[in-house]
Amino acid sequence: MSISKTDTTGAQTVAPATIASVRGLKVHFRSKAGRVHAVDGVDFDVRDGETLGLVGETGCGKSVTGRAFLRLLPVPPGILAGGSVMFRPQTSCGGCGGEGCAQCGGSGRRPTPCPTCRGQGCPDCQGTGAETLDLLKVSDKQMRGIRGDRIAMIFQDPGKALNPTLTIGEQLGEVFLQHRSVDLLEEAGIDSGESGFQAGALRRLAGQRDRRTDRMAAALWPPLRRRAQSVRQALDNRIAAALGETQIPNPRNIMRSYPHELSGGMRQRVMIAQALACDPDLIIADEPTTALDVTVQARILDLIGQLQAKRGSSVIYISHDLSVVRRICDRVAVMYAGRVVEIGETDQIFNDPRHPYTKGLLAAVPTTRTPRGKLAAIPGSVPELVDPKPSCRFADRCAQVHAACTASDPILSAVNPGHDVACFLEHPTSPKTEAAE
Amino acid sequence: MQLRDYIIRRLIALPILLLGVSIIVFSLTRIAGSPVGVYLSHEMSPEEVLQIEQRYNLDKPLPVQYAYWLRGVTQGDFGWSGVASAPVAEVFPAKFAATMELSVAAAVVAVALGLWLGTYAGVRRNKMPDHITRIVAVSGASLPLFWFGIVLLIVFWANLGWFPVGRSTNDIWESIAHPTGFYTLDAILAGSWTALMDALWHLVLPSITLGFGAVAIIARMMRSSLIEELQQDYVDAARAKGLPERLVLKRHARRNALVPTVTVIGLTIAFLMQGAIAAEIIFRWPGLGRWMASAVVRGDQATIMTYVLFTSVLFLVANLVVDIIYAKLDPRVRLGD
Ligand SMILES: Nc1ncnc2c1ncn2[C@@H]1O[C@H](COP(=O)(O)OP(=O)(O)OP(=O)(O)O)[C@@H](O)[C@H]1O
Ligand code: SF4
Ligand SMILES: [Mg+2]
Ligand SMILES: [Zn+2]
Ligand SMILES: [Zn+2]
Repeated sequence: MSISKTDTTGAQTVAPATIASVRGLKVHFRSKAGRVHAVDGVDFDVRDGETLGLVGETGCGKSVTGRAFLRLLPVPPGILAGGSVMFRPQTSCGGCGGEGCAQCGGSGRRPTPCPTCRGQGCPDCQGTGAETLDLLKVSDKQMRGIRGDRIAMIFQDPGKALNPTLTIGEQLGEVFLQHRSVDLLEEAGIDSGESGFQAGALRRLAGQRDRRTDRMAAALWPPLRRRAQSVRQALDNRIAAALGETQIPNPRNIMRSYPHELSGGMRQRVMIAQALACDPDLIIADEPTTALDVTVQARILDLIGQLQAKRGSSVIYISHDLSVVRRICDRVAVMYAGRVVEIGETDQIFNDPRHPYTKGLLAAVPTTRTPRGKLAAIPGSVPELVDPKPSCRFADRCAQVHAACTASDPILSAVNPGHDVACFLEHPTSPKTEAAE
Repeated sequence: MQLRDYIIRRLIALPILLLGVSIIVFSLTRIAGSPVGVYLSHEMSPEEVLQIEQRYNLDKPLPVQYAYWLRGVTQGDFGWSGVASAPVAEVFPAKFAATMELSVAAAVVAVALGLWLGTYAGVRRNKMPDHITRIVAVSGASLPLFWFGIVLLIVFWANLGWFPVGRSTNDIWESIAHPTGFYTLDAILAGSWTALMDALWHLVLPSITLGFGAVAIIARMMRSSLIEELQQDYVDAARAKGLPERLVLKRHARRNALVPTVTVIGLTIAFLMQGAIAAEIIFRWPGLGRWMASAVVRGDQATIMTYVLFTSVLFLVANLVVDIIYAKLDPRVRLGD
């Protein structure tokens, strides 16, 4: 396995204002035809509070990249073949208690101090003093603590991402039970110092760790039942508040209904409420409006934007829809065949595209007859990702292909501040990646 | 439709269905021959036979005979069992209890083991445990019940002597009353540990024999539907919330996988009733199945009719219970559509 050049210069590329940085990420899949290099050396940063668009044709590895943040990949057949996803969890600002002040730049949150050096700066945190976790390497337990709490995901089809046999409240409540059980107990007036069976049972009930005996006792034994009910009430209040924030009318009724009783737009609001329940630092939105009616798409996008701004969270917005990306994203990363081929400010990408693929994408005005995920103007289709040769992945379809392109593989390098492109036209002497193994 | 309305509607339909079933079975048994045989002995003269036919209305047309039979049933008179040499209604309760005890034990074994094996295999798809449960399941579905039972009988009763046959060891039960007819319950009511162990010990071989086939069917269904559910987006969504794998499986995937499995469980109830006949014969279990088998051989029509009526009730009630569980599990199910 090769390590890409940027990996060694991590301390310099990971600026303090980034919440996450992906370096040389490789996710492969074992298949009958060979090893599919679905994501094959992806590099990008996610800045604090920004919306980063991830665009590209179908099958180019957008979803796999997004899922790598939460390690939601089927392994096997998937293989985490290399690279890192560094993430800096944040905590509520001590200076203002989350309201926003000068210390935290108004966002109400600050980086969690590095546990090794207590914020002084050390190799573990690459000198930044902020806790830095490699999401590909943290333990399963730590990953579970991050999922839904610090990093959340909004899925493409809310009709499939909600469990048909549980009520909305039962599903949304799980986020709080997993990550906010201490707050729930406190809100229910249960002293954290209390010991004994009752306190133990209540703690287990509030953390989804309840045993059959706890449930039986909570159903039959009046004193415990009363206290379990006040935990239940604290939970219901939080669920209703989370639903209310996404402008769902009558949250208390919606909580008790099942997913099939709601419209697609309502279901996606529920998914958003669920994703934002714990004020995550990073939200991965994988085509959150594709499965919805055109009429509700804009409203859902506005909602995500509003709630994100209020919290100061960062969003990775995966989409095919370039006009939406242009409207809502601060920066855009263009992916092709498992690589980021161009990344920059939204302005730079749309007004000054440099990579031939990006130019093709922008020229391809989607019409109603263009199948979803296809781009009209670029002839050909995404190459097979099975054991790729060490050449530019776009060479087969590129009008400006030349000798250098098939000899080696271009990597991202700056053409302007904040604007990187991987193409030999821009960098005739571009550093080359080592041949793919 | 409200669950309560649905149950009421089905309960109203129950007698009508039973009436239909009884007409069909009554006609079939009468076509097979006259039921007069059970009342006769070798010394009777033709005149005496005629008298008996008249006494029991067997000389009347078939619909009239059916009407007499139906009137008897509504008054609790199910006819005379030649096999038991007693009125059917008198023998029935004890044999019913014996069969129910065996079937319930077999169903508990089948459902518990089937769901457990299916879950275990589904989570470890294409790994060793999955292959092993597949072998168990295929053999369970393809070994004839009577053969499997006889093998168990030879190995564990005849050779090893670990388990008994029949229903009880007489001397233990002499002092124990039978208020319910279910020996396990009776032993618990009498507070006798030895009697309870004896009752359970006698249940082991016949209930394994009877439940084995159903284990296989339930396990395979559970496995395949669990594998399908584990690939759904909501499973990843549950993981994305931070749920531990244990809860992802228990609260999310398994609950959904149970929906189709419950339907299959309902069907296996009929399977158990069929199997009970063979299992009771092999293990000398004094239940309805063994009684029914002798009744068929001896042309004991009153017994056959009662057995069929009873099995129909059981089947319809089991289906109703399955429908209720089904609706409880899956809120999208609209009962009565
Ligand atoms: N579970 C899997 N098993 C095998 N291969 C997979 C799996 N998931 C993804 N892949 C491979 O990874 C490649 C990238 O998939 P990915 O879902 O990331 O594409 P995408 O960019 O999100 O496309 P779309 O726009 O259609 O959502 C696919 O072409 C496929 O070959
Ligand atoms: S490197 Fe060559 S083939 Fe690849 S995009 Fe640039 S010009 Fe085209
Ligand atoms: Mg995708
Ligand atoms: Zn602050
Ligand atoms: Zn440090």
